[in-house]
Amino acid sequence: MTIDQYRLEEEPTYHPSGDEVAFYESAYAARLPVMLKGPTGCGKTRFVEHMAWRLGKPLITVSCHEDMTASDLVGRFLLGPEGTHWQDGPLTMAVRHGAICYLDEVVEARQDTTVVIHSLTDDRRILPLEKKGELVHAHPDFQLVISYNPGYQSVLKDLKESTKQRFSAVDFTYPMASVEASIVASEADVSADIADKLVKIAEKSRHLRGQGLEEGASTRMLIHAGRLIKTGMTLTDACKHAIIVPITDDPDMRGALDAVVDACA
Amino acid sequence: MNVEATPDLPGAIRSAFSAPEIADWLRARERLRGAGYGRTVPRAYERSSLALAPKLGAAPTIALAKLVSHVAIRVSPRAAERVCTAAGTVAQRYEPQEFTAWLALMTRITTQAPESVYPFLDNMERLVGRLSEQALEDWVATGLRLAGRDADKRSAYFSLQTAEAQRALEHESGEQSFYDHERRLRAYLTAISGATPPLRVAPTGMGEKAARRVSFAGNVILVPPSLPGYRGETEPLFRAALAHIGAHINFTKTRFEIGQLKPLQMAVVSLIEDARVEELAAQEMPGLRRLWQGFHVAQPGGLPTAPSLFARLARALIEPDFDDPDGWVQKGRRMFMEARERWADPAISREIGNLLGNDLGQLRVQFNAKDYVVQPAYRDDNLGLWALDEPPPEEAQTLEVQVDTVQLRRSEPTPGAGKQSQQQEQTESDRVEKVAPVTEAAEEGRAVASYPEYDYEIGRERANWTVVKEYPATPGNRRFWQELQDAQGPLLSRITGLVRSAQIGRARREKRQAEGEVLDLDACIEAATALRAGEFPDHRLYERQAPPTRDLAVSLLLDISQSTADLVPGTQHRILDMERDATAVLAHAMNEIGDPFAINAFCSAGREDVRVVAVKRFSDALDEETGSALSGLKPGYSTRLGAALRHAGKDLAQVPRHRRLLLLITDGEPSDIDSPDPDYLVRDAQRAVRSLSALGIDVFCVGLGPRNKEQEAAIFGRNGFIQIDELSTLPDKLLSLYLRLTR
Repeated sequence: MTIDQYRLEEEPTYHPSGDEVAFYESAYAARLPVMLKGPTGCGKTRFVEHMAWRLGKPLITVSCHEDMTASDLVGRFLLGPEGTHWQDGPLTMAVRHGAICYLDEVVEARQDTTVVIHSLTDDRRILPLEKKGELVHAHPDFQLVISYNPGYQSVLKDLKESTKQRFSAVDFTYPMASVEASIVASEADVSADIADKLVKIAEKSRHLRGQGLEEGASTRMLIHAGRLIKTGMTLTDACKHAIIVPITDDPDMRGALDAVVDACA
Repeated sequence: MNVEATPDLPGAIRSAFSAPEIADWLRARERLRGAGYGRTVPRAYERSSLALAPKLGAAPTIALAKLVSHVAIRVSPRAAERVCTAAGTVAQRYEPQEFTAWLALMTRITTQAPESVYPFLDNMERLVGRLSEQALEDWVATGLRLAGRDADKRSAYFSLQTAEAQRALEHESGEQSFYDHERRLRAYLTAISGATPPLRVAPTGMGEKAARRVSFAGNVILVPPSLPGYRGETEPLFRAALAHIGAHINFTKTRFEIGQLKPLQMAVVSLIEDARVEELAAQEMPGLRRLWQGFHVAQPGGLPTAPSLFARLARALIEPDFDDPDGWVQKGRRMFMEARERWADPAISREIGNLLGNDLGQLRVQFNAKDYVVQPAYRDDNLGLWALDEPPPEEAQTLEVQVDTVQLRRSEPTPGAGKQSQQQEQTESDRVEKVAPVTEAAEEGRAVASYPEYDYEIGRERANWTVVKEYPATPGNRRFWQELQDAQGPLLSRITGLVRSAQIGRARREKRQAEGEVLDLDACIEAATALRAGEFPDHRLYERQAPPTRDLAVSLLLDISQSTADLVPGTQHRILDMERDATAVLAHAMNEIGDPFAINAFCSAGREDVRVVAVKRFSDALDEETGSALSGLKPGYSTRLGAALRHAGKDLAQVPRHRRLLLLITDGEPSDIDSPDPDYLVRDAQRAVRSLSALGIDVFCVGLGPRNKEQEAAIFGRNGFIQIDELSTLPDKLLSLYLRLTR
C-alpha cells in the first residue's frame, strides 16, 4: 500500500468565491488544522481536493458515519497465517506519510472517536497507537481537515467544545450567482442560459431555508439537474428529479417549488 | 280552537293539507294566536306554512309552529316572524328531512344562544346557499364551541364577522379557498420574493366591505379568502396574485405621493406601475409572464369605458401580440415600450400615467372610483403604492396576528428587506399588544404553536384550534439542586445506585465479531490452531464495545393547574411541591443515565392561551437555570390536556430516538374555562394520546390522589396510567415506574 495512490493527478476544478484559497495556503504553511463549515453540496470536498492538488500533497478522505470507531481511523491488528499484524488506519497512514487527512462530516462520528484527533491538532502532533504500543510523530507535511455542516446539527450531534477550539475555520456558502452559474455550466456542460435558470431556481429555493426546507438546493443538485438536461430532459423534469423530489417530502413545499420552477423556466 | 269551523276555511288551506292534517295545523295556529305574541306572528306563520306545505308536506310545517313559538318566547316575537321568512329560504334549498333537522338546529341555537338568533337568521340565505344541512350543523357546532359562554363572541360568529366564522364557512362549504393552499402559497411568496411579509386573510364581512382584491397596505398583505369567478383556478390565481405582490416588494421601493392627482390618474399610474414591476419580475422569472397573461382576457372593442380601457391596456402592456385598435391603448403601449431603458425607474409610471390620465380626461371617459375594481383579479388594489395617511386596516383576529408575529420574529431577517421587515416587526408587535391585552402585566406569553382539537360531536379535528404560548420561567431557587442534594441526599444516592445496578446505558463488550477494535484473544488462538491443523479458521476474530442499546427520550409534562396549589393531606406541602420534587429526582436519575429528556409544565386559560413553561428543553443541561425554573413553577388556571400533550409530543417527535416516552404528572381531569362540556376535553385528550402513539410516542400518566379510573383508562389505555394515593411515595414510585417503562 503506497501513499502515492492518494495523489491527485489532474487538477480538480474549483472556482474560488472568496479568499479561501489564500487562507488555506496560510493555514497549511502554519500546519494548522482546518475546519470547513457550510451547507451540503456547496463545494467543501472539491475545495480540499483542489488544495491538495495545488500543494502537491496526497489526500486521504474518510467519510464519517455513526458507527465509526477510533480503530476505523487509527488501525487495528489483523490475524494472518503467520500471526497477528498491524494494519494502519487511514488517519495513521496520513500521519506517517505526510498526507492531508480529510474527515468528511465529522459530527456523524461518535464523540469518543473524534477525541483521537486531539493530540494531532495541537503542537504535539503525535498519534499514540495504544494497542500497538507505538507513538507516531506526524510527518512534517501532515495536515488534518474536517468538514462540518452547522445546518443539521441537532441536540445529539455537535462537536465537542474541546474539539472545535482546535481548528481554524472557513465558512462556505453557495457561490455568487454568476460564479455558481459558471460552475454549473462547466460541470454539467450546459449552456449559460440553462445554468442561469438553474441558479435562479436554487436561489429562490434557498429563501425557504428554515421556512419549510432544511436547506435550499445545493450547487451539486444544480449540476445533477444540468446533467439530466444534457441528456435531453426538459428543465422542468430535470428540476423535479434532481432538486424537488430529493430535497423534501412535504407536498406543500414541493408544490411551492414546482411553482418556482415554473416561474423561472 | 274550533275545528268545526272548517267549512269557511280559505281554499288555500284545503289545497295545502289533507283533512286530518288541517285539524293539526289549525291547532298549531290557534296555539300561536292564543299565546299573546301579537297578531303578526300567527299571520307570518300562516303565510309561510301554507306556502311550504306543498313542498315539505304537513309534518314539518306544523313542527315549524313549535319553533316559532319557542323563538317568540326566548328571543322576541319579531324574531319569530323572521323565522317564518327564513323557513321559506331554507325550504327552497333543503329537502323535507333536512328541513326538519334545520328546525331542530334552530331550536338548539334559540336555547343555547338566543342573542345569536337574529344575526344567524340574517345570514341564513347565504349560509344555506353554500352549506348542506349537515355542514350547517357542523358550522353552528363550531360557533357554539368556539365562543363558549361568551354571548358577544357568539353573536359575532353568527353574524359572520369573525375570521373564524369565515374560515369555518369556507371549510364546511368545501369550496377551495386561500386556506386550502395557504402553506404552499406562503412558501411560494417567500421563495420568489425572498421576503416574509406578514400575510393575513382579510376578514370578509357582508356586502360592500368584502375584500375583492389582494391588498398590500401598511406592509401587511391582506388576502381575501376567495376570489370569486375563478373556480378551479384558485391556486394559480392566488399564485399570480402573490407573484404580483412579490414584484411590488422587490421593485416598488418607495410609495408615490398623491399630490394633486385625481382618482382616475391614480388608477392609470397604478396600472403602469403594475406593468412595470411585472415586466422587471418577468425579466428575472420568465415563467411569471405566462402565469399572469393567462388572466388577461380583455378583448378589443366594446364601449370605451374606463374599466374596459384599463383592462385592455393592462393586457396590451403584458402581451406584446395583443392587438387593440383603440388609440389610447396603443398610445399607452407605445409610451411604455419607448421607456424600455428606464423601466427600473418608478418615476416613469407617474410620467406615463399622468399623460394617459389626462388623455382620458379629455376624451371625457367616465370613471367611478368607488365601483372600480382592478382587473385582472390577481392584481392588488394598489393601496400599497400610495402614501396614504390612513392607518392600516384594523385587525379582526387576535389569534392569527399573534401566531403570525411569532413566525415573523423567528424568521431571520431577509437581506433584501432588512430594514423594512424590522419596521414591520416593530409595528406588528405594537399592534399585538394593543389587540391582545395581557391579563397579568408581569407575565407575557409568546405564542409558539397552534394545534388542532378534536370535537367528538362532529367527529373531526378542528385545525389550529388551540394556541400554545410559552411563558418565561419564573426565577426560583438557583441553589435548587444543591438543596435537593442536601435534603434528599440519601434518596438521590440510593436512586443513583439503582440506576447503576440496573445497568442501563452501559456499553457492552461483544466477543467474536467480524469487525472490531481489538483482536479477541481466545478467537485468535482457536483460529491459529485451526490454521496449523490445515482447517479453515473462523473469521470472527474481534471484540468490540457495543454502543449502549438504550435508545430512549423522555418528555416530562407537569400539570400546574390551580388545583395543584392544594396541600397534600397531612403535610405542609402543596401537590405541586410534590410533583416538583418527584420530577427533580427523576431528572437527576435520567441525567445520570444519559437519556435525553425535557421538562414542560402546563396549565391553560382558554383555548387561545394554553400556557407552557419550558423548564428544560432537550438541549438544555440540568443546571442552575433548570433548577431555578423548576422551583419557580407557580400553580394557576386550568388543565387543557390535549393541547399540552400535542405540544410536548411535537418536540419529543423531533428527537431521533427509538423509544419516546411522554410522562404526564397530573392531579386532575381535563377541564378549561371555555369548555362547559366535561366530555369534550376528555375525548380530545384521548385523541391526542392516540395521534401521539401513531407517531411512535408512548404516553403514560401518573395520577395523583383519588382518580376517575375509567376516564383515565379511556384516555391513556388500560396500561397507560398509574394512580398514586400516598403522595409521599411519589418520587420512589415515579422512578421505579420509569425504570420499568424504559427497560
